[in-house]
Amino acid sequence: MEDYASSDEDYHYDSDQDDSVEAYENDEDYALLSSKGPTTKVITKESLLVAQKEDLRRVMEMLSVREQHARTLLIYHRWDVEKLFAVYVDKGKAFLFGEAGVSVDQHPDSDSSVPSTVMCYICMEDVARVETTRMDCGHCFCNSCWIEHFIVKINEGQSKRIRCMQHKCNSICDEAVVRTLLSRKHPGMAEKYERFLLESYIEDNKRVKWCPSTPHCGNAIRVEDDELCEVECSCGLQFCFRCLSEAHSPCSCLMWELWAKKCRDESETVNWITVHTKPCPKCHKPVEKNGGCNLVSCICGQAFCWLCGGATGREHTWSSIAGHSCGRYKEQEKSAERAKRDLYRYMHYHNRYKAHTDSFKIESKLKETIQGKIAISEEKDSTLRDYSWVNNGLSRLFRSRRVLSYSYAFAFYMFGDELFKEEMTDAQREIKQNLFEDQQQQLEANVEKLSKILEEPFETFSDDKVVEIRMQILTLSTIIDKLCQKMYECIENDLLGSLHLGIHSIAPYKSKGIERASELSVCWNNKVNTGVTAELDRPSGSGSSDDNGCSSRKRARKDGLGGGFFDLNLPAEFIDRN
Amino acid sequence: MIDFARVQKELVECSKDSEGSGIKVSPKSDDLVQLFGTIPGPVGTPYEGGIFQIDITLPEGYPFEPPKMQFKTKVWHPNISSQSGAICLDILKDQWSPALTLKTALLSVQALLSAPQPDDPQDAVVAQQYLKDYQTFVSTARYWTESFAKASTRGIEDKVQKLVEMGFPEAQVRNILEAVGGDENLALERLL
Repeated sequence: MEDYASSDEDYHYDSDQDDSVEAYENDEDYALLSSKGPTTKVITKESLLVAQKEDLRRVMEMLSVREQHARTLLIYHRWDVEKLFAVYVDKGKAFLFGEAGVSVDQHPDSDSSVPSTVMCYICMEDVARVETTRMDCGHCFCNSCWIEHFIVKINEGQSKRIRCMQHKCNSICDEAVVRTLLSRKHPGMAEKYERFLLESYIEDNKRVKWCPSTPHCGNAIRVEDDELCEVECSCGLQFCFRCLSEAHSPCSCLMWELWAKKCRDESETVNWITVHTKPCPKCHKPVEKNGGCNLVSCICGQAFCWLCGGATGREHTWSSIAGHSCGRYKEQEKSAERAKRDLYRYMHYHNRYKAHTDSFKIESKLKETIQGKIAISEEKDSTLRDYSWVNNGLSRLFRSRRVLSYSYAFAFYMFGDELFKEEMTDAQREIKQNLFEDQQQQLEANVEKLSKILEEPFETFSDDKVVEIRMQILTLSTIIDKLCQKMYECIENDLLGSLHLGIHSIAPYKSKGIERASELSVCWNNKVNTGVTAELDRPSGSGSSDDNGCSSRKRARKDGLGGGFFDLNLPAEFIDRN
Repeated sequence: MIDFARVQKELVECSKDSEGSGIKVSPKSDDLVQLFGTIPGPVGTPYEGGIFQIDITLPEGYPFEPPKMQFKTKVWHPNISSQSGAICLDILKDQWSPALTLKTALLSVQALLSAPQPDDPQDAVVAQQYLKDYQTFVSTARYWTESFAKASTRGIEDKVQKLVEMGFPEAQVRNILEAVGGDENLALERLL
């Protein structure tokens, strides 16, 4: 404890002296801690076009092709520019283009000698040459047939890959041609086509996903390279980027899916009923035995044997029922035992999971009372002006509560039979479970301590006592942060890391809370177009990209404060600084 | 909306050289939505000598959407359902192109009879047999051709006509005739 306290002192007391330096250092620190810096972006309806411009531009420049061809290539390669370039390098341009259905060869209209009408092989009519369109692949049909073809394909949801009408022609129709032909008589269809093309950037891109909010906020989130992370959309929803359900680390996606389902579908209620009741042989209602001998009477009046569940007469003694004999079913007994054990195990974990989730809800109200306390304290004539440590402590409390509650769902699966029965021996399991529970208990104890201290009426305390409380909160926050970090590491390395099954991995621990995706601003449009900030949203360690990342992050935080709302995922230092 | 002008032209076009290819397409009703086509079994296959009837239904978007085709004549083939006659052929699905016609589609079906693709089966039982016991497959396919696709069964429409005139509903007559392998007397017994 003392160790933590002294190191903490060094860390935090500086901030009073030089705010700007501290802020700068914290930013550096933040980037280091999360190792990749802020790499998630919100893509709104407005910035959807901007978001894909960069990828399009890279392909257009590299291959010197027009935008529509770049788009066709990118859609084919699911917006993976690196993969696209790899194919280009390995197999050449002709292969790359052929595979994706891009034709850039010129097919000169040999029209000088051709009559002014041609036969369209689709409708089998002679049509005026001006009423026909030749695609890049060289196939020419009449406009009304093309339009009909486009409409059918768009309605089939094939907008992104409308092929030429010629049999076995793999070529994709030029989007400019599709747009022009459709817009005249079918503006609605043209719009739909346009939207599908634009949204391909989200739909077909593993780095971009729709925000799962309901009702839908209209946003999508783009992550730079690590798809295993948790993000916060600008609409406020926090979610797991991989499985799109609520943020659930340190549970793996599969664990969370199972846990959420288990909590939802009341499968355990059913289990309880199997364990504690038997169906009445007459009315089939579940009957619970509340004592007495093995002859049980249902409220419908039917008497039956508790051992076998068969209907009987009423005449009986303690040891036998008249005219009825049944042997004990060993098998059934065993399975009931198991069900009982499983139920108690689930109840243990679920109760703790729920206790922390509930505490979390109650503590959310603390936000308001604490703001009130701070207001009172600030008006006091005191040398202490800065009360941001209270808010910092509070957000630490919220974050660690969450970790704590999900850690019980994690433990339920980690040490249960459902997922990893074959993975470890009972002895191994016991060692691991002890290791984990030890950490969990430490974390739990500290979180409760912090919760208690935060409720103290510090606004009535003397300055000395406030300083003392502040020290305690800072110390606890640091300890808790380290414990969370340690728990994640333990899960990643010692528990999940040792399994043969590679399907379980968890989002990395974020000391400062789930990263809030920054807006991809529309006003950058011009810059992107002119190529001024080429590295705009690809943080590759170059100076310019870092600058951009920082500035947008700072802006987001300021917004948070200006709006007067308290966000539990704001980096703790942010409040320090202000 | 179906492009009827084109369908008309296709029918004319097809009848022109039906002698050569043996492929025929004729309307079932006046509205040109329901048609039926016939293809001769390819020479050198177990289907040789058979005449296969195919029901054709044109979708709203024809020719921009593929025609629906189904074997009416029972046939033993890995890519054709022995129960329903459904055909598993790419050009009748996602590889359809408006530049294809009913005739070219039927030609593809005929080609499918010559070159089964057991790796992409419609009828798993037939496909298994094709892969594991080719000899039995050939004899079963030939037997089915003999039983269902030969001249004797070609008069099936006449039999249907006859039985319908006796007062039985057409659908039932067809079902039962098919079930008894085209034997008129057996069918009559069942109907009674």
